[in-house]
Amino acid sequence: MFSRIRRRISGSLYRTAAWRLALRSTIVFAASSALVFLMMYGLVARTIRERSDSWLIGESETLKQVALTTPKDAVYGRIVGEVAELATQEFAFDSHDDDAANTVFFYENGEGAEPPLWVSPSVGPSAKAAIIASLRSSNVPERSAVSMPVPGWRMPFRVVSVHVSPGTGRIYLGLQDTAARIMLTRLLLGFFIGWIAMVLFGFLTAVLSLRGTLKRIDAVTTAAANIGTGDLSSRVAFADKPNDEIARLTRTFNTMLDRISASVNQLRSLTDSVAHDMKSPITSVRGSLEAALSTDDANLSRELVARAVESLDRLSEIVTTSLDVAEAEAGALRLRREPSDLADLIRRVAELYAPAFSERRQTLTTIADKPVQAMLDQRFLVRLLSNLLENELRYAGEGAKILVILSEANGHAQIRVRDDGPGFPAGLLDQVFQRFAKGDTSEGHGLGLAFVRAVALAHGGRAWVRNLDTGGVEIGVEFPAPGSAPEPLSPVTDTLPAHPPNTPVPEPGNDVIVTSS
Amino acid sequence: MRLLVVEDDRTIREFLTRAVTEAGFRVDACGRGDEAESQALEGVHDAMIIDLTLPDMDGLDLIHRLRSQGVTAPVLILSARRSVDERVLGLERGGDDYLTKPFAVAEVVARLRALLRRSTPNQPEATRLRVADLELDLIRREAHRGGAELQLTQQEFALLEYLCRNAGRVVTRSMVLDHVWKMRFDTSTNIVDVHIHRLRNKVDRDSDRPLIRTMRGVGYVLKD
Repeated sequence: MFSRIRRRISGSLYRTAAWRLALRSTIVFAASSALVFLMMYGLVARTIRERSDSWLIGESETLKQVALTTPKDAVYGRIVGEVAELATQEFAFDSHDDDAANTVFFYENGEGAEPPLWVSPSVGPSAKAAIIASLRSSNVPERSAVSMPVPGWRMPFRVVSVHVSPGTGRIYLGLQDTAARIMLTRLLLGFFIGWIAMVLFGFLTAVLSLRGTLKRIDAVTTAAANIGTGDLSSRVAFADKPNDEIARLTRTFNTMLDRISASVNQLRSLTDSVAHDMKSPITSVRGSLEAALSTDDANLSRELVARAVESLDRLSEIVTTSLDVAEAEAGALRLRREPSDLADLIRRVAELYAPAFSERRQTLTTIADKPVQAMLDQRFLVRLLSNLLENELRYAGEGAKILVILSEANGHAQIRVRDDGPGFPAGLLDQVFQRFAKGDTSEGHGLGLAFVRAVALAHGGRAWVRNLDTGGVEIGVEFPAPGSAPEPLSPVTDTLPAHPPNTPVPEPGNDVIVTSS
Repeated sequence: MRLLVVEDDRTIREFLTRAVTEAGFRVDACGRGDEAESQALEGVHDAMIIDLTLPDMDGLDLIHRLRSQGVTAPVLILSARRSVDERVLGLERGGDDYLTKPFAVAEVVARLRALLRRSTPNQPEATRLRVADLELDLIRREAHRGGAELQLTQQEFALLEYLCRNAGRVVTRSMVLDHVWKMRFDTSTNIVDVHIHRLRNKVDRDSDRPLIRTMRGVGYVLKD
């Protein structure tokens, strides 16, 4: 699946999103710019026609005056012709280029005026006949120009007519504005070439910049594909600038990969530790049982089997606790909450552990005078407390003073366990709550404190650990205790008091104090 | 006493059968829910051991079917599921009991006995317990060994009382925690060893006949 994705990435340009996006935007751009060009062209063309039309109308009036005032004699035609020619020269768009020369005709019908038609530049008689025929067959209104196609000419003439006098003939003035037409054609051509260039340039720019941008997304895809094939070290290379959406995507993606690979590594080391921690008991079970099988000494055999059973107990505890911790961390621990008095629980667990502390000449003092009610799963709480105390038994050292403080404030119950032992090594401090984290000299399986934190979290609480300034360590857990009215936290100093206030001084031989209300 | 053992794993079924037979029960064993149902409906069993995962039905469903058909014998539930199901806890409140795998065989037998005691109506409560030359006065909370009074703390007396009540029978660490300290630990802790060690120092130190014995890997037994 992932190799297919890679193939698609390196595949044809035509299938890329960059291509499609560029094409779409280019089509819209091309259509709208063509529309604008055409509108501009239409405007220019209309202006030019209006101008030549107004010239035609004005000139026809002049010619009408000339026709009325000039006697119809032999020179009439020449006069009219000259006037027409002069007028033609005034025409702005007249070009010196012969091909682009405008064609103007003047025609007067009625009263046998000779010559009835004057054309500039001069054309042959057949062309003249065609003009006259066209004029006669079309109905040209007065004082407004119309287009009149004439056979033999590519372009139609703009023609105006004017009555010379009532009853007499009409004067027709026609103009074929070739220069303007050529100018418009050139304009159109220019527009078209410019438009094509613009569209192509725009399309190329769009494709290239989109391709550049989307290539960065492809990099993300490639990295994801690599992750899919098991290479967790794959990351997306990216620059800080521009700090745009894709840079943010890339950063987020990389952060996500960091987290995933961290938790996968954690999982790996977890499985490694579990496997390692389980292998030793399994090996010793196997060894003991094998030896028991091969010995004839019934007592030795019994002893070996007993050892195997003890190893199995240890094994089953590792499995149960690590699953509990994993479940609690995943938020899937099934709790049977019931109203519980934490002070009572602490007293009971402390009583249970009292002999163990006194055997190590450690002093265990609990300050849990007032009942603190909370909704808790007592089975887990008892194990949490016993884990905390066993942790002290193991690590606080011979003769250490251990203080368990229960306090309550702002709807939270806090249990703090303090000692004056060696404290945690700095390197271990921030990972004591991790599964299978344990000191070099530790004999535990590294699950005790992980379980403590997991239970606290499962109850909506938290756990912390810190080395005290005065030496020693504090491990604390906190639970919501909403049933209780908020009251100020009982003052607890950071220094470990030799004997807390209101606590009887321990009698000789009785070095465990359990205070109760 | 006649027992019904319903467990689909043949190895577990066989060692359970052997253990409860040795403990003096008559045993019927089967590995399927439907067989178990027809056997239980005969109404001849005093207690049942039922595994929750059976090939043809859920153990809890089996228990509910039996209960709805009038079978009242107490049930010891065996569960491989770690987090104990709410419904199992409900049954526990209803007078039955459960054990999670792996379990000690001694504990199965002990819990069975406890279940049967619970289901048999009031026996007159003893006020004195005696094992060999050890004597406990349950009313005055005093213990004597060979005529000499033992100076015991309340905890130590409670522990010794529990061992005496189960004299001759193995008790596991978790049974001790459960009955003496009323704390149910699902994992093992060796804190009980410390208490036993202290108690043994007081009960057995001056005697050439030690009563409290450690059963390696299982628990403790008090016997002559």
